[in-house]
Amino acid sequence: MKLKFKSLWSWIWFLIGTLYFILPLYATLDFSLRMERDTIGFKAYRVAFADPKFVETFARSNILAVITIIVSIILIVPTAYWVRLRLPQARRIVEFITLLPFVIPAIILVFGMIRVFSTPVRIPFTDIILIQPLTTLIVNKFHLGTYILIVAGYMILALPYMYRAVDTGMRTVDVRTLTEASQSLGANGFTIMWHVILPNIRASLLSGALLTYAIVVGEVVLASFLGLDTFGPYLFLLGQHRAYEPSALTFVAFLLTWAAMGIIQLVSGEQGQTAGAH
Amino acid sequence: MAYLSISNVSKQFGDTTVVDNFNLDIEKGEFVSFLGPSGCGKTTTLRMVAGFEIPTTGQIMLDGSDITDVAPNQRNVGMIFQSYALFPNMTVAQNIAFGLRVRKETDDMVKQRVQEMIALIHLEEHANKYPFQLSGGQQQRVSLARALAIHPQVLLLDEPLSALDAKIRVSLRAEIRSIQKSLGITAIFVTHDQEEALSISDRVVVMNVGEMEQVGTPFEIYNFPKTSFVANFVGSLNTSKATVVDPAGGILDMNGIRVHSESGVQGKKKGDVVMVAIRPERFSFSWEGKKENVTEGTVENITFLGSVVRVQLLIGGIKFNMDTFNRPSLTLPKIGEKCEVTFSSKAVLILDD
Repeated sequence: MKLKFKSLWSWIWFLIGTLYFILPLYATLDFSLRMERDTIGFKAYRVAFADPKFVETFARSNILAVITIIVSIILIVPTAYWVRLRLPQARRIVEFITLLPFVIPAIILVFGMIRVFSTPVRIPFTDIILIQPLTTLIVNKFHLGTYILIVAGYMILALPYMYRAVDTGMRTVDVRTLTEASQSLGANGFTIMWHVILPNIRASLLSGALLTYAIVVGEVVLASFLGLDTFGPYLFLLGQHRAYEPSALTFVAFLLTWAAMGIIQLVSGEQGQTAGAH
Repeated sequence: MAYLSISNVSKQFGDTTVVDNFNLDIEKGEFVSFLGPSGCGKTTTLRMVAGFEIPTTGQIMLDGSDITDVAPNQRNVGMIFQSYALFPNMTVAQNIAFGLRVRKETDDMVKQRVQEMIALIHLEEHANKYPFQLSGGQQQRVSLARALAIHPQVLLLDEPLSALDAKIRVSLRAEIRSIQKSLGITAIFVTHDQEEALSISDRVVVMNVGEMEQVGTPFEIYNFPKTSFVANFVGSLNTSKATVVDPAGGILDMNGIRVHSESGVQGKKKGDVVMVAIRPERFSFSWEGKKENVTEGTVENITFLGSVVRVQLLIGGIKFNMDTFNRPSLTLPKIGEKCEVTFSSKAVLILDD
């Protein structure tokens, strides 16, 4: 009897939680479908997708997300691997560093970056410029320096998620023993990383990558202050001038996130099986 | 010159000496076990041979080459781990092929060698399975095949049976030994299980707190332990102090009981105190026939251990365990009864410490 009562409460709380999350989403969807008076339709979606600015900013954000993910993986995977294998005593320090983006707001980060990288490096006490500012690095009218800066900023923002995902993945496979087994079979560092470590943490890499993607695509502060037209600022501006299109795009963004979560679940389920009994 | 020679090898981690002046020569095709309790340095020594640890001092020579500072992936040494260490993302066949692929062998050669290895471990029907689809014993056999596929000069086994259940452990150790003998490969086996070490090895190295206590064949280690550590660690043992009465005749006084030892008390003087050890199975009841070192004891307890019955006796105020085979004709005294027991002079071992 007591158990049934407990179970009833669990269901009530579950229902309340579900409504809390579903209702705003339903309201957004409902609103986005009412662009035409007294009709339910997808006009807001058609208008939003037809805007060339949407395509341009969305494509730019996607490219930036892919670059951020690749560079993050190149930097973070060997770092996490090395810390786990050779420098376990440095783990706390590295973890502390990876958590810094949680306590340093993006606005502070971007101002810091602008201040450091938009001023030239001079020889102390002289006016002789040693290194030109990164933001002035322009190749064929392409602001390469600014793009490098924004990718670096995105990497910092995504660091806690990416590092944690990779580190958790390495915890589930016995990295040390697998490395030693590979070494005893004659493998070098690259072979071990490429053929043994990376395939065995692919689910973690994917979850880290998708979280990074979500952060980059929706990011507003860094892009706005660095003056880059990306999807985040576009959506923000759209929200200030239009009513229905931002709702439509928000709902699409939700669907994309859910699809990403689904992929994570699917892949981590598969990897759980292959990495289960080692 | 020995095939594998470990000379004056020591290993320190900070201020702690884990292995202290280890010396061992291993011949080609020999199966040597490192036996000892946790923390005795056996795994560290093995890891130094594998190249995962660099000795603080000393030298390791393999087939005439100095491999002391050679990177693990440059040594031709196969290693088997307690946790199997199979690559979870690869099938059985891919795991076995890994070392050959690293060596850039041709596809035909890899295929042929993988088939040979799979046949060797009798897992033909599991070639395309992933490690998680195999039992622990099967995984360890794959690990063995993977290590052997690369034709290693030495096979290192780091407690490979510890994670398996008792029955599989016994069958797999026999399989490992049989494969090692048939291939004639030199092997070093690390274990803390004395039965495993004694049953599988040509020679056993007993280690304690980073030092070698004794090296010998399983027969020598069990029957002629040199130190009380070896005597106590390998098999069960009765130990007692005794005073030398007649050094030339090997006569000792063990708490008032006259004992004759054939192993001799050379170098000792009359009145010296020595440590005496007698294995429980070397005792027998005097009515069973032998009449050497006959003494009287009181039965304190009797325990049935399946094929063996252990009788606890109080002899001259010292507790002794006596093991006798459990057979239908066995007549046992009752608890509290006095009985005469006997043991041969060969059974009385004089320990170095």
